[in-house]
Amino acid sequence: MNETRREFVGGALIACGALGAGLGASRLIRKLKKPESPPTTLVAALTAKGELVRVPAETATVHAHPAPAVGEAARQGVPGRKWVMVIDLAKCSGCANCTIACNKMHATSPDRHWIRVFRMQDSAHTAPYWFPKPCFHCDNPPCTKVCPVGATFKRQDGIVLIDNERCIGCRFCMAACPYSTRYFNWARPDNTVHAGKTYSPETGVPRRIGTVEKCDFCPEMASQGILPACVTSCDMAAIYFGDENEDAVSNSEETVRLSRLLEQRAAYRYLAELGTEPRVYYLPPKNREFPAPSLAPKAKSSTPIAPDHASHVHQKATT
Amino acid sequence: MKLADTNHNGGAPAIDHDRLRDDILGKLRCSLATPNRNERLWLAFLGTLILAGAGAYIWQCTYGLQVTGMREYVFWGVYMTNFVFFIGVSHAGTLISAILRVTGAEWRRSITRMAEAITVFALMIGAPMVIIDMGRPDRVLNVIIHGRMNSPILWDVCSICTYMSGSLLYLYVAMIPDFALLAPRAPMWERRTLRQRLFQVLSLGYRDTPEQRRLLEKALATMAVIIIPVAISVHTVVSWIFGMTLRPGWHSTIFGPYFVIGAIFSGTAGIITAMVVFRKVYHLENFLTERQFKNLGRLMLALNLLYIYFTLAEYLTAWYGAEESDHRLLNLLMGHSPYGVAFWTWASLCLFLPALIVMLPLKESLIPRLLVASIIINIGMWVKRYLIIVPTLMTPYIAPEAAGVTPSYMPTWVEWTVTLGGLATFLMLFTLFAKFFPIISVWETVEGVAELGAKNIGVDLDRPLHPPPRRLDSRRRFAMPAAVAILFLVGLAFGTTAFGAATNEKPVVAASAARVEIAVASRDTDEGPQLAATVRLSGQPLAGAEVEFFVRRALGRLSLGTQATGADGVAMIPSPSDLPGRNGGELEVIAEIKSPAAHATQAGEATIKAGQPAAITADPFPRALWSPHAPLGLVFTFVLLLGIVWSTYSFVIVQLIRIRKAGNP
Repeated sequence: MNETRREFVGGALIACGALGAGLGASRLIRKLKKPESPPTTLVAALTAKGELVRVPAETATVHAHPAPAVGEAARQGVPGRKWVMVIDLAKCSGCANCTIACNKMHATSPDRHWIRVFRMQDSAHTAPYWFPKPCFHCDNPPCTKVCPVGATFKRQDGIVLIDNERCIGCRFCMAACPYSTRYFNWARPDNTVHAGKTYSPETGVPRRIGTVEKCDFCPEMASQGILPACVTSCDMAAIYFGDENEDAVSNSEETVRLSRLLEQRAAYRYLAELGTEPRVYYLPPKNREFPAPSLAPKAKSSTPIAPDHASHVHQKATT
Repeated sequence: MKLADTNHNGGAPAIDHDRLRDDILGKLRCSLATPNRNERLWLAFLGTLILAGAGAYIWQCTYGLQVTGMREYVFWGVYMTNFVFFIGVSHAGTLISAILRVTGAEWRRSITRMAEAITVFALMIGAPMVIIDMGRPDRVLNVIIHGRMNSPILWDVCSICTYMSGSLLYLYVAMIPDFALLAPRAPMWERRTLRQRLFQVLSLGYRDTPEQRRLLEKALATMAVIIIPVAISVHTVVSWIFGMTLRPGWHSTIFGPYFVIGAIFSGTAGIITAMVVFRKVYHLENFLTERQFKNLGRLMLALNLLYIYFTLAEYLTAWYGAEESDHRLLNLLMGHSPYGVAFWTWASLCLFLPALIVMLPLKESLIPRLLVASIIINIGMWVKRYLIIVPTLMTPYIAPEAAGVTPSYMPTWVEWTVTLGGLATFLMLFTLFAKFFPIISVWETVEGVAELGAKNIGVDLDRPLHPPPRRLDSRRRFAMPAAVAILFLVGLAFGTTAFGAATNEKPVVAASAARVEIAVASRDTDEGPQLAATVRLSGQPLAGAEVEFFVRRALGRLSLGTQATGADGVAMIPSPSDLPGRNGGELEVIAEIKSPAAHATQAGEATIKAGQPAAITADPFPRALWSPHAPLGLVFTFVLLLGIVWSTYSFVIVQLIRIRKAGNP
C-alpha cells in the first residue's frame, strides 16, 4: 500500500513533467516539420485497410501510432490470427537497417537489438551468411514455461509478450530462452519519448527498471494492418510478416502465399530440434543476391572481431 | 525438573541425572556465558560487515542492478552462486541430524543441535539471495499473487518454504526438553530473565512424563524421517532452475543428484568447520571428541569421492559426445581461459586435495586436517557453483561472437559486499544462537550418558577444561542485536497521463481520373469457379483493360494474377479455393485496373465465398507447460507431494499440542 502511494505521488509528479514535456515536444516537432516538408511532396503510406496511398509528407509524420491493447485484451491477443515471420537469408545484405529501424521505433537504448544481425558460418568450409534474429515467438516457448508470475505469456495470435508491470526481474526467462533474445533493464530506462503513454504489454513502454524486454512482433501495428518496422525498413525486402491463418506474408514490396514460399524455398526454423517450434522461418541463403559476409557485423557497443577469430564461430542451420 | 524421577529404569544403575545435567551445563558455560571481549569484537566485526552489506544492497536498490557486473549475456552471477551455495550448506542439518537419528548413530547426540541450526541459518541467507538478485524485489509478492505452478521458481519457493518450516519445527521439537531443563535452572540465572521466560513458554510445559516423552519421541522420529525427502527435494529443485533450461552445461539429467550430493558434501564440510571452531572457542572438547570428527571425516571423504564421480560423469559425457554447444562450453570452462585456470585449480585443490588430506594416515592431526579440508571444500563448492553458472551463460547456442560481442562478467564491489554481508549475517545468527541456546543437545547427551555411557556416545565428560571456569552468577542479560531489516526499493513511478499529442489527419488520396465501375463477383464456369471483374466506363463495358485481382490479407494484398477484360468488359481468373478466408471461406477480393493508365489504381471490391473456411483453434490456451494452465499431472504431483509433507508437519504439531496438554493436567 505504501508502494501504491509512493508510486502515485511519484507518478503524479513525473506525469506533470511528462505532460508538459510531451506538449512542448509535439509543438516543437510540428513547428520544425512544417517548413521542412513542402506540401507538394507526397509519400507512400499504407492505410489500415492495406491500401497503398500517396499522402503529403507533412500529414504522414503526424500519423497516430495505433493504440495498443491493455489489460486482459493484451494477454489474450487477436482471435483468429497467427502471426508469423519469414526471413530470406538469400536477400539479407547484413546492413542492419532492421535493427536501426526497430531501435528507433521502439526507442530502445543503443545497447540492445530486438532484432540482431549475426554473421553465421556453419563450418570452416561453408560460406558465411547474415542472419537477422528477432524473437521467434515460439509455439512451445521455453520462456513462458519458466516465468513464475506469468509476466511473460503467449497469446492466441502466437505472440509472446512481457507484462513489465508484473515482471519481478528474476531473469529466468532469459536463462530459458535458447536464442538469447531477451534484454534486461539494468538501469532506469529513459522514458522521455514515452511520456504520457499508458503502459501496454503490446508496446512495452513506458519501460520499467528491473524488467525484461524483447522483440514483440509489433502487435498493435499488426492488428491495424501495419507491418513491423524491421520489415518496412528492409530495402532488400528480406523480411516477410503475416498471418499464418491467412496463408499470406508481406515484405516491404509484396504479399505472397506463405505455404508456397516455405515449400519452394525449403524453409527451416533455427534450432528447431530444441522443440521450441519457432514462429520465424528462414529461407536458406541459396542463390544469394549479396556477397557472403567477410567480417562480423559492426555492433555499436563493441569492436568487430577479426576474421580468423570469427571463423570458429559455428552455428547449425538445420533444415 | 523431574528428569531423574520419571526416567529411571528399574534395573539400570542409579545415575544421578541432576548431577549429570549440572555437570554438562557447567561444561557448556563458555558458550552460554555473556560474550567476552573477543566475542564482542567478533560480533562487532560481523555487525560492521552486515551494515556494509545492507548499505550495498540499498545502493543497488537505488540505482538498480546496473551497479552489479551482470549484463546482457551473463545475467546471473555471484548472487545466484550464493543462493546455490547457502542452500547447499543448509543440507548439513538434515544429513547429520535426521539421517543419524533415523539410523540410531549414538555419537550424533552432541552435534545434532549445531547441524540443525546451520540448516535454519543457511536457509535464512540462501533464500533471500534470490530476492537480492531480483530486478524488482518490490514485486516479490507477485510470486504468490500470480504464482504459476509450471515454473521451477515456484517449485523452489514451495520446497524452500517447506524445508524452512520443517527445519525450524525439527530444531524446535528437539529443543523442547532443553527449554524445560534450562528455564528453571537457578544456578544459571539468578533472576528471571527474558530468556528464562521465553524458555518457559517454549518448553510447552514439558516435564518429561512418560506420556510426554513418548509423544516427543514420536514427533522427533516423524520429523527426522520427513525432513530427509524434503531436503533432497530442495536441492533437486534448485538444480532444476538450471536443469530445466535448454542450455549446454545445465540441461543435464544428473543435475538433481549432482546438486544434492554437492549440497550434502558442502554441508558436511560446513558442519565440520563449525564444530572445530566451536570446540575451540567454547571449549566443547568434552562433547566433540575424536569420535565425531572421525565419523564425519569418513562421511565427508565418501561424499568427496561421490562428488568426484559425479563431476567426472557430467563432464566426460559432454566432452566425449562433443556436441557443438557442449564443445564450446567445455572449451571455455576447461580450455585456455580464466575459467579454465579456475576450473583446473578447483579440481586439483578443492576436489582432490581435500580427499588426500583426509586420507592421510596421520593419527595425531585429525582435527586440524579436517579443518583445512573442510575450509577448502567450502571455498571450492562456492567456486564450483560460480563455474556452473557463468561460463554456461557465456556460451549460448547462438554465439554472441557472431554479432561481434564478447560476453564478460566481473562482479562489482556491490556484489562482493552484499555477499560478505550475507556470510556475516549467517555467522552472526549462528554465534548468537550458540550464546542464547545450548549448542549441544543437553537432554540427549544426558540420556545417552545415562543409558549407554559417555564412551558409547562419543562424549568425554572427564576431560578437564583448559581455561579456569568463569563465574556465571555475574551474568548479564544482553540484548538481542536489532535484526537487519531487508529493504525493498519501491519501484519507479512513471507518469501515465492520457495525453495524445498526435492529431488524426485524414490521408489525402491523390485525385483520380474519370471513374470506372468495377463489379467483382464469383462465377461458375466449365473450368471451375472463377472470380470475375466487370469493368464499365460510363455504363459501357471497357474492353482490353488489365485487371489485377487481389485478396486482402492482414498486412497486404495477395495478388492472384492479372487478366485483361474481354469485349464484355469481364476479366476472370480461377478462384483461389485453397486460400483460407473467414469462417465461411469469405474472401475480400479486390480488382484493380493496371491499364489503361487513365484508370490505373481504380478498384472494385467484394466479399466472396471463394476460399477455405478459417482454421479454428479449438482452445488457444490448452493445459501445457507454456500456457497459464498447468498440466493436470503436474498439478496432481505438486499437490500430492506438498500435501504429504504438510500433513506430516501437522501430525507433528498435533503431538506438540498433546505434549502441552499432558503438561497441564
